[in-house]
Amino acid sequence: MARQIVGPFNRVEGDLEVQLDVGDGQVDAAWVNSPLYRGFEQILLGKIPGDALVYAPRVCGICSVSQSVAAAFALGDAYRAETPPNGILALDLIHAAENLIDHLTHFYLFFMPDFARPEYAAQPWHADIHARFRAVEGSAAPEFLQARTAFMHLMGLLAGKWPHSLAIQPGGCTRAVSARERLHLGNVVGAFRRFLEQRVFAAPLDEIVALDSRDALQHWQAAQAGQPGDLARFLALGEALGLHTLGRAADRFMSFGAYREADGAPLFARGVWRDGSLHSLDVDGIAEDVSHSWMAGDTAPPRTARTLPDPGREGAYTWCKAPRLHGKAVEVGALARQLVDGHPLICDLVAATGGNVLTRVVARLLESARILLAMQRWTDALVPGEPFHNPAAPLADAEGIGLTEAARGSLGHWLRIEGGRIRNYQIVSPTTWNFSPRDAAGQPGALEQALTGTPVDSPRHPRKIAVQHVVRSFDPCMVCTAH
Amino acid sequence: MAIETFYDVMRRQGISRRSFLKFCSLTATSLGLSPAFVPKIAWAMENKPRTPVLWMHGLECTCCSESFIRSGHPLAKDVILSMISLDYDDTLMASAGHQAEACLQETIEKHKGNYILAVEGNPPLNEDGMYCIVGGKPFVEKLRYAAAHAKHVIAWGACASWGCVQAARPNPTRATPIHKVITDKPVIKVPGCPPIAEVMTGVITYMLTFGHPPALDRQGRPKMFYGQRIHDKCYRRAHFDAGEFVESWDDRAAREGYCLYKMGCKGPTTYNACSTVRWNGDTSFPIQSGHGCLGCSEDGFWDKGSFYDRLTRVNGFGIDANADQIGGIAAGGVGAAAVAHAAVTAVIRARHKPHQPKQDEHHGDKSE
Repeated sequence: MARQIVGPFNRVEGDLEVQLDVGDGQVDAAWVNSPLYRGFEQILLGKIPGDALVYAPRVCGICSVSQSVAAAFALGDAYRAETPPNGILALDLIHAAENLIDHLTHFYLFFMPDFARPEYAAQPWHADIHARFRAVEGSAAPEFLQARTAFMHLMGLLAGKWPHSLAIQPGGCTRAVSARERLHLGNVVGAFRRFLEQRVFAAPLDEIVALDSRDALQHWQAAQAGQPGDLARFLALGEALGLHTLGRAADRFMSFGAYREADGAPLFARGVWRDGSLHSLDVDGIAEDVSHSWMAGDTAPPRTARTLPDPGREGAYTWCKAPRLHGKAVEVGALARQLVDGHPLICDLVAATGGNVLTRVVARLLESARILLAMQRWTDALVPGEPFHNPAAPLADAEGIGLTEAARGSLGHWLRIEGGRIRNYQIVSPTTWNFSPRDAAGQPGALEQALTGTPVDSPRHPRKIAVQHVVRSFDPCMVCTAH
Repeated sequence: MAIETFYDVMRRQGISRRSFLKFCSLTATSLGLSPAFVPKIAWAMENKPRTPVLWMHGLECTCCSESFIRSGHPLAKDVILSMISLDYDDTLMASAGHQAEACLQETIEKHKGNYILAVEGNPPLNEDGMYCIVGGKPFVEKLRYAAAHAKHVIAWGACASWGCVQAARPNPTRATPIHKVITDKPVIKVPGCPPIAEVMTGVITYMLTFGHPPALDRQGRPKMFYGQRIHDKCYRRAHFDAGEFVESWDDRAAREGYCLYKMGCKGPTTYNACSTVRWNGDTSFPIQSGHGCLGCSEDGFWDKGSFYDRLTRVNGFGIDANADQIGGIAAGGVGAAAVAHAAVTAVIRARHKPHQPKQDEHHGDKSE
């Protein structure tokens, strides 16, 4: 048995290192280390509550809107703010745009370039994949970046700028959209739909979201031969490399639910998926364990937890805490969201092969199609002239919880206000769940579980490249993790 | 072996001569240079060897990278990426792990004294740098080493330039701006949280083209982008001068485009290009979304009271005096300064009739 370190990882957000125990050609055990800590939860103490809208988003420049939404929800919950329908739709649009773009940024700039690496040079598909996906220089990168830049005009229109937009407030959005601007928004969303339909899927979005089983997906892929879209390219790769056999964790999934339709129902449902079926989520069952984190203290729910760094803690190996739901590690992300929401394709894929590298990526792309269709609906539903924001009076003493979904999974902010100041602020972000260390019971986090059994130097996956696929399949965001 | 030029790199990427010349002309425009500079830029790009750029990440949130790769102009999709080629960049480069660290080492060795070091984020100095460990070493060591052999050092964003919100009280990690660690050469600061994409590409294009940094102000910021306040070119300025203010988000005044000063806008004391270059492909900037400016390009913007407190001192007339001093109107309480400033502005306008200046010309192009 040999102990090896993989990292520092690049093409992830922030810094990441993974330690592996390797024996008999595969990973026996893994330890995930987030080596970066900034102390947001310490900095927020004593601040004016509204200032959390500026601090918290800066936890992450990639999903700053998700952090804004969680902070606005927590403050809105504390102040009992009522958001008008236009405000809900505007927040949905801003938030969905970021999450959608995150999925595709991950696919094009972070995940796919690994298949263009020289380790696969002998494979029959390598020339095509190399031409399309090699880092920075492949044909896909500039195409995607251009489409992305144009799509992000939506952020300018609705939120002033991105990243670190400011328009998101408890009670709605500071930006009222005029009839002319609504038209402009429609054009921006429509143009991105064309990119999805021409490049990502090479198929109408309605056809993608209607795929309802593993068989249907395989038939669809077979029918794509000729000028395939990038999803079909990936599916072919997945078959050739057996990506469905890599990176399975405990198959316990959680979603806080995301986006609100005009009738108040979430677009993606809240819940927990475990032991092969769906359950309701008990938010009070969440607690963070710090037994293997460079943190002082004991296991505590985020409502009362503190964040106190202790770099000398015995047995610790990361800045990341270990959040658990009723004592269990869960996996979060697009796969969890689509499974909890009951999308038939994802349910069928998970029933067949569980959560793995392939299903995580398919779920992300499927979700992109679903989000875009919802965005078109929401744009049409905006009513220029009606309010976008309802003011709520700040309270001197209050508590609030803001739960939402970032691209990478469930994000929660827990806030307590005393005497008009922030007395406690705890952030539990997606990669904290997925990349958490072991807990007091010795239970590894989702990625640590998923890495166990990964081949390190097989003919199909030479030189630890399978480890890279598994890690990146979670779309890690390390700056969020320890914050 | 002939040394590659930027133009060679562009050609290799299949960029046409026509696109290249368009790029040169757009660059000149974005840098505020006259059309006479277009052939100079073209000549430099065709003849000068490509300068390698190392892009390192310390304590940060990656918003600067996000801003940079979203640059809509000029031709970011091909040119910027090929131009700087990101010889080493944690977020985008191809190689991984120790291979990536080796690549960093190799680039430094090969181009000693001749590369640009661009730093996003900063080193935390508490606990011997333990709060940011990269490749088993504190980031501050990697930063010192790479800076020692760099030709120029750029601080991207508020983290590298000033510390930013992670350095807010009580600054638990002792996040430290890079100029306090790199003391033997000037640090070109491009602050903002994040900086505007076009400002970042503009600064780097200038340096690659001319081989030296653009003119800097006393704080080390390029004057061409940080020479004016948001307030000077704000499209809501007329309402400030008229004393017309937003009182609540999305109220009637907000929809009329009234001034956000009472909502905490820091535009009057913030030097940046948001109100001229704007964001996300020139679509907007924070004030246009109905929210005030945070002042995110200014040193210490995070520790100056709540972001939603209004300013009590507003420089209204160039930078040499503030509203309280001009006109000698007593401006005691919070908010009074703006009223005073507005009143004085009205007086000055009246005095200057009949050639009442257009709003944009009000403070001239006083860039310093």
